[in-house]
Amino acid sequence: MLLAEGLTKSFPGVRALDGATLQLTAGSVHALLGENGAGKSTLVKILTGVYRPDGGRVVLDGRDVHFGSPLEALHAGIGVVHQERNLVPGFSIAENIALQHLPNRLGMVDRTRMRAEARRCLDLLDLDLDPDTRVAELSVAQAQLVEIAKALSVDTRVLLLDEPTASLTGDEADRLYAIVRKLTATGHAVVLVSHKLEEVFAVADTVTVLRDGRSVAQAQPLSGYTRDEIVDLMVGRAYASVELTARTVDRDATPALELAGLSTRHGHRDVSLTVARGEILGLYGLVGAGRTELAKALLGLDEITGGEVRVHGAPVRIRDVGQALRRHRIGYVPEDRKGEGLFLEQPITRNVGVTVWRRLARFGLIPDRAERDVVAEYTKLLGIRAASPNQLAGQLSGGNQQKVSLAKWLAASCDILIVDEPTVGIDVRTKAAFHELIARLAGQGMAILLISSDLPEIVTLADRIAVMGDAAVRGELANDHDYDTVSQRVIRLIHAAPAPV
Amino acid sequence: MTSTVESTATRAATPAAPAPSRLRRTVRTSEFTLVALAVIGFVALTLTTDGNMLSAGTLAAFFRFLAVPMIIGLAQMVVLAIGQMNLSVGVLTGFCAMVAAWAMLEAGLPAPLAVLGAMLLGAAVGLGNGLLVVFTRINAFIVTLATMTIIDGLRYGVNGPGTYQDYSAGLEELGQASLLGLPVVFLIACAVAATVWFFFARTVPGRHLLASGGSPFAARLSGVSNDRSIVLAHALSGLLAGVAAVLTLAQSGSVNATIGDDLLLPSFAAPIIGGVALAGGVVSVLGTSLAAFIVRLVDVAQAQFAINRRWVDLIVGAVVLGVVLSGAIRTKLSRRSS
Repeated sequence: MLLAEGLTKSFPGVRALDGATLQLTAGSVHALLGENGAGKSTLVKILTGVYRPDGGRVVLDGRDVHFGSPLEALHAGIGVVHQERNLVPGFSIAENIALQHLPNRLGMVDRTRMRAEARRCLDLLDLDLDPDTRVAELSVAQAQLVEIAKALSVDTRVLLLDEPTASLTGDEADRLYAIVRKLTATGHAVVLVSHKLEEVFAVADTVTVLRDGRSVAQAQPLSGYTRDEIVDLMVGRAYASVELTARTVDRDATPALELAGLSTRHGHRDVSLTVARGEILGLYGLVGAGRTELAKALLGLDEITGGEVRVHGAPVRIRDVGQALRRHRIGYVPEDRKGEGLFLEQPITRNVGVTVWRRLARFGLIPDRAERDVVAEYTKLLGIRAASPNQLAGQLSGGNQQKVSLAKWLAASCDILIVDEPTVGIDVRTKAAFHELIARLAGQGMAILLISSDLPEIVTLADRIAVMGDAAVRGELANDHDYDTVSQRVIRLIHAAPAPV
Repeated sequence: MTSTVESTATRAATPAAPAPSRLRRTVRTSEFTLVALAVIGFVALTLTTDGNMLSAGTLAAFFRFLAVPMIIGLAQMVVLAIGQMNLSVGVLTGFCAMVAAWAMLEAGLPAPLAVLGAMLLGAAVGLGNGLLVVFTRINAFIVTLATMTIIDGLRYGVNGPGTYQDYSAGLEELGQASLLGLPVVFLIACAVAATVWFFFARTVPGRHLLASGGSPFAARLSGVSNDRSIVLAHALSGLLAGVAAVLTLAQSGSVNATIGDDLLLPSFAAPIIGGVALAGGVVSVLGTSLAAFIVRLVDVAQAQFAINRRWVDLIVGAVVLGVVLSGAIRTKLSRRSS
């Protein structure tokens, strides 16, 4: 149905694609895999008319096609959901969905038809959202689903999904993939770019693996591979999954962080959690369950209306992040690293140093040398790869950015760390390194609250798992790291009826 | 997308593609372009005026009247650093100058106290701007548009259409004095610029201010108070307007209610041409000062060739627009190629 053959594309100083080939057949889900930098995104952008290839050809239904713009690709029936949000926050869901082809009558937007069209697209995804809701009011995951609805609104025959479930939990992901299967049943071809191999194996029929801009596996049936074989193909060497050293947690000592019957303005009810020194508490839940919001309330960014927060046994009232950091040594690595974790236009030094300037300052002045030393120490400790400490954070890869976002809290010698979706959109190898790092920090006595929608990640790392739903804790369980049994219990908790209010 | 960002990072990190040499990097900075532009402009002006530019009097006047545009550019720059604007810098300069002149002539205050008062007044008004922005959450553009109008009225209220002169012999002497062949007012402006540079480069509040400008979300989640940054930036902006007022008093010898009217565009021209990001987070004291120098060259050319004043405004305005546009285009291109 669609064949992209021998594609090459160079950017100044780097060859992103070097003869990559991708072949799609109608009615199947095709996984496009590869590490960060392998050329997946470039390939996706060529297929959707964002880039023009330097060489090679794209054949759609037996005809050579050349897309000059994303709109041309769209009209040819190639829809895409990019990794980044592409919605207008101030517009309603309906307006966003209809943006590319506003139905009009005599030059006026036909709002009735627009709303009906949006309703149809939302229903495709079983989304119970009001088309008139402004996108700004949606959660990250809801916005992601609207984005997918938008891609389906065109008469799409080829749908490219770039990390579609990066911000979704298992439930939403399952729902999304059910839709994907429905689409393939009606003759669509779907390309799935994802770092989550579990999902890929559950959904995809065939696979193309890119490495260094070349296809190292090409439209092969996925059933012919094991997970480890795919990972080997991606990284190009034998890959051993991390064996994390067992840690012992002293649960009798005073917990580092305790939430006792906390309720917040956001709507949390009676949330009680404890994290001991050296312990990783995994906080799992459906998107919209209120985990990030809980973390933010804890940091004083949202109002706490009841209950108590205790740090090392002492009740505290935290007003803002500065206080959380300086008085209680609590750090927060946000989910949205580009928007909230980093100063993209500023060098690594400033990004790491921001939390320690006050401590280093003598009479309000920051000694250059002291700052450089601190930053060098943590750059080295975390293995941040950069040309120099003066490189802008925005120029780093996702994995390195996340390390910078984490480094500032280590530099500030935090002993309680809240890590929110730390490995979203990060490639397998970096992800494993990150897991090792988090485990090592806990091993050194840090108390870690790990918020994640990546169940394998939680099962790998956490000592205990708390499951959250509808802004309340649904239950808590010890983690014996056996994925099958633990994941089943977690999922059961998720689907348990919420406690009566 | 992450994968392409990764590839540029790897490229920078691998020895196979060496980083450009120090010389290459220096040449590529926007400051270097500005230095080149300033030198070329200066030489061209010298040549076309038969060396008149190099005569002691012309040269001294050139630098004397560079002091105020430089400071006023910096006054705008500190607010641009947090991604906001201060439309009131020009009229505030005039207002502070008028109040200080009034204090010396009518209230009999000694010049040093009046000078101090002018700066404090500027800082206080700036502080007011900042507090209004923080507490009302109204856009700084609108807040300072309003305060600009109010201060405009107050400035006129000090002495109506009248002119103040002979307020302080000492101050006027300072305005005409030279040290090592350069006007003292210009040297003062340079010292102030150096202080501003130091503030952003090495002090905690300065760094926090840039952090708030670069990303208010990340700043807040790193324990930086954005509100404090906003108030501080506006207060500093006001303080610098006060400094500009003092320099105006010193160099001009007489002030009236129109002082500051022609400073709004130059206040934006210097930082914008100087490479300061309108979105905030990135400042350049050197670039702003160099850009003020270049705009000053245009002024001198206007005087030398008796060009209509309006043409100069048109040119400066067009250059500012051009710089902003080319910046936007550059961002677009670099996004596309990455």
